[in-house]
Amino acid sequence: MNPLLLTILIPAAATLALFFVDASAKRAIRSIATVATALLLVISIGMFVGFHAEPDTWTANAGAGDGAHGYKYGFEASWIEDMGLAFRLGVDGMGLAMVLLTALIIFAGVMVSYSVEKRVKEYYICLLALVTGVFGVFTSLDLFFYYFFYELAVIPMFLLIGVWGSTTRTVDQNYATMKLVLLLTAGAVMALVGLISVWSEVGTFNMVLIEEHEFSTAFQMAWFPVIFLGFAALVPMWPLHSWSPAGHAAAPAAVSMLHAGVLMKLGAFGILRIACTYFPEAATEYLPYLALLCCMNIVYGGLVAISQRDMKLIIGYSSSSHMGYVLLGVASATMIGVEGAVFLMFAHGIMTALTFALIGWFYDQTHTRMLDDLGGLMKVMPFAGTCFIIASMASAGLPGFANFASELMVIIGAWESNLWLAIPAILAIWGLVITGVYLLRAVKDAWFGEMPERWSKLRDQRTLAERTPFVMLTAVLLLFGFWPQPMVSMVEQGVKPLVTRLDAAKEQVGKAVKRVVPANDQPAREIRAVGEER
Amino acid sequence: MFSLAFQLPEGLTPNLELLLPEFIVAGTALGAILPELILPAGRRAAATAWTCFAGLVCAFIVVVAMGPSAELALAVKDGDLLVSGLRMDAFSVFCRALITGGGALLVLISMAFTNRLDRGHGEFYAILLFSLLGVMLVSGVSDLLSLFVCLELVTIMAYVLAAFRRNDLRSTEAGLKYLVVGAVSTALLLLGIGLIYGWTGSLSLDAISAKVWASAAEGAVPPGLLLLGTALLFCGLFFKVGGVPFHVWIPDVYQGAPSPVTAFLVTASKSAGVILLLRMAQALFVRPEIMDSTVHNPLAQQWVLILGVVACITLLFGVLGAMPQRGIKRMLAYSSIGHAGYLLMGLAAIAAEGGRGAASGQYGTEALLYYLMAYFVTSIVAFGVIIVVGAASNRVEGGAHGDRAYEGLWSRSPFLAVALCLALLSLAGVPPMSGFFAKFLILRATIDKGLYALAFIGAGAVVVSLYFYLLWIKSMYFKAPPPGAPSGADFKIPASTRVVLWAGMAAMVIMGVWMPPFYDWAHQAAASLTSLAGR
Repeated sequence: MNPLLLTILIPAAATLALFFVDASAKRAIRSIATVATALLLVISIGMFVGFHAEPDTWTANAGAGDGAHGYKYGFEASWIEDMGLAFRLGVDGMGLAMVLLTALIIFAGVMVSYSVEKRVKEYYICLLALVTGVFGVFTSLDLFFYYFFYELAVIPMFLLIGVWGSTTRTVDQNYATMKLVLLLTAGAVMALVGLISVWSEVGTFNMVLIEEHEFSTAFQMAWFPVIFLGFAALVPMWPLHSWSPAGHAAAPAAVSMLHAGVLMKLGAFGILRIACTYFPEAATEYLPYLALLCCMNIVYGGLVAISQRDMKLIIGYSSSSHMGYVLLGVASATMIGVEGAVFLMFAHGIMTALTFALIGWFYDQTHTRMLDDLGGLMKVMPFAGTCFIIASMASAGLPGFANFASELMVIIGAWESNLWLAIPAILAIWGLVITGVYLLRAVKDAWFGEMPERWSKLRDQRTLAERTPFVMLTAVLLLFGFWPQPMVSMVEQGVKPLVTRLDAAKEQVGKAVKRVVPANDQPAREIRAVGEER
Repeated sequence: MFSLAFQLPEGLTPNLELLLPEFIVAGTALGAILPELILPAGRRAAATAWTCFAGLVCAFIVVVAMGPSAELALAVKDGDLLVSGLRMDAFSVFCRALITGGGALLVLISMAFTNRLDRGHGEFYAILLFSLLGVMLVSGVSDLLSLFVCLELVTIMAYVLAAFRRNDLRSTEAGLKYLVVGAVSTALLLLGIGLIYGWTGSLSLDAISAKVWASAAEGAVPPGLLLLGTALLFCGLFFKVGGVPFHVWIPDVYQGAPSPVTAFLVTASKSAGVILLLRMAQALFVRPEIMDSTVHNPLAQQWVLILGVVACITLLFGVLGAMPQRGIKRMLAYSSIGHAGYLLMGLAAIAAEGGRGAASGQYGTEALLYYLMAYFVTSIVAFGVIIVVGAASNRVEGGAHGDRAYEGLWSRSPFLAVALCLALLSLAGVPPMSGFFAKFLILRATIDKGLYALAFIGAGAVVVSLYFYLLWIKSMYFKAPPPGAPSGADFKIPASTRVVLWAGMAAMVIMGVWMPPFYDWAHQAAASLTSLAGR
């Protein structure tokens, strides 16, 4: 059976199955969720290995022309023919990286959710429905279903945060969840209007056919901003970001993990897969302005994070700051920059999921996340503390982690793109310093120093089942930090057609910037060498 | 099927078989009074309801058996006012299937209400069925006189139903308000018909369509008389669907009327208006057989603007008005005004098509039909829950907690909470529910015709409406039950309601995920309307 179809059917079937399980059978419910997500992980790793086992087949079926994508694992079921609407699936390297990310995080998320005791059945129903949507977005090759799954991923968040989230001094969960759902839906429906107008122009929802269609410049200039802004709300791009830190802070651990790890990537994925791919001319026109907004993301997000005392808000603002790097990579429109952006989406997803899982771990026991209340936790939970420090180092861009390799690629990409982007590139480097400030302070205040007496009874992760998700995520961070090659080459396969288009568009508009290196995979190889030396 | 043919004036032999479903429903409505006369008091309610259910199901089966092939039976010569006027085409088959099927479900959910009545079961169901009969006939009208007669059959029955609990002040008030506003709009409707007749010299929709396009072909500006006539006619129809400025009756009537009656007003009665709007739009705005011509219909061009503005105002009024509502029926009343806005958006798309010359109005028509279908199922699920919850809170504390009865519903009756939650999400237009695809089709029709501003407003209204629907989901799922509210055991869900809720939930999800069969029905029905118009 088609593995992509399975990634959607398995969580969907598990969601349905859970409806019919008795609500008091918590063990059975958790087992169903664990088995389903473990299967998803196995399938995703299988596809990842499959990519590297026979990389030729991925480029070979790139059909017509330069810009054509090589999609693998294609699946098509006819839906409404006279509308050009069908259930089409397929992934390229970029989609596969995201599928792998989602599978890793949801598996870890289900495992850390064992501590949820309230309304267990509904919790897992919502969680699995959410994941069905996420997998659907990353694997759909039909615009209708792309939107369908996109919105499907948003709605369960409402219940997940509202029912299982937490209200603290800093964030009210009712407020946070409503804001999150409304802002994301506002972005989504805005994009929907754009997507339907694309349909009205091309006459099909088939994303492969739409890619081959050449839109007129006027059409591109008119609709790129609409679709772009629609997706940018989910990234979240400054100034549309305010739903995100509040949402993170109010959500239960597993939901924060999915939210920061995967949901925010849906937006960037949509920008790359739809806005930039379909409208390359408009993209080259608008992207330099985008770079300015990225600076706001990086610097403003970082500065706000410095002033926070709630751990989850720190990581929440840090996430929106890091998504600024992703946008910067996109804005650079160079091979290495875009590759770096996608790689960073993966690395940041893993890193931030790990951090949120750890905060969830101690929050379940302490019921506070305020730095002023914590301190010296390293004494009672050395394992969790170690993981947290590793994650913080990754986040601060220490060499040896996937985040370093990818952020470096983004900055190089921005630097070599054009003069405009040199300023954001410099700011981005300073952004890493800001990251260091708030993360080191969080580490110092929470994990070291004087420990209040009341925390002496806290529990560290002891059993294998408790440690598995943390070990897994840490291992992935280190693996791709020291050996980014497999991920980078996979991502490259996915973004190459896009960058080729952007380059062609630049030349067409007559704005081609003289490059030191032509747009091939040369720079990517260099950076891989940099990554490997570590 | 039996063959019932009899001689009409001028040697016409229409095929009355095609009216069999109407005969069945009319017969059942008369038969519904019988159990009241012959059965002991305790068994009347159930017997009456099941009789009506059986009658509607029979009618539904007959309609479905006719299939989409049934065509053009009772259409007779232009100008013959007595016998022309009904056209049982595939469009009407679709609508009648919707009305009979939906009506049967309506009867099932009404049982939780009528079981509590001491008397008047026969009246209630007989009037309900006559009103449904009116909607069925409305689906086939092909001239203005039958339009008026069929519409009045629906409306007058609905006045009585709204005031059905005549000892209840709110119900009486609802009936009276409905009557006053309804009477005014009926007068406008009649005046409009008169003016249109004055210009075209005919009541037949076909003849009117021919005249409109003949005038358009000459490049003539449509006379003020025609514009005024159509405006007045549409006013009468806006009253049925709840378009601004004829929406004022909706919140009070929906709130005051007994819940099953509100369900009827939301679904069947509103459908009557939408069906007629579609028939009128087809007659006035588009004309498929001159698809390739460059003739633009100036009347349609004027109406795009009017319909677009009315749709916007209706939409915004509905969704903004629904936000502060604390009673669920009142909230649904405003939201139904919002939904009327979406329906009018689809209508504006049809007019836009005619205004540009190339025209069948297919996208808009099929979008509206799908919308009706989805809205029917969703509303019936929502009101199924409301009737049960209303009955429970009446029983427990005399309705004192009426509006807070939904707080913490999750912990007291997970089944009702899930059903209402899914229904609200479907109304909001969120995948994977049926309401999503309905709104999607409406947006597609408007965007395809270049009505971008309208599309953006419609899309924005989705966000606003999501807000107030989520408020209710929040109240059901996040809050604790208020003290003194009916507990889990107080919710007596009759088997009939339970079946409807299960089937409705399944239908909402299936229509939202596996939409091709439903879309095909709507598509064929729309195609039959759009290709037959102007014949």
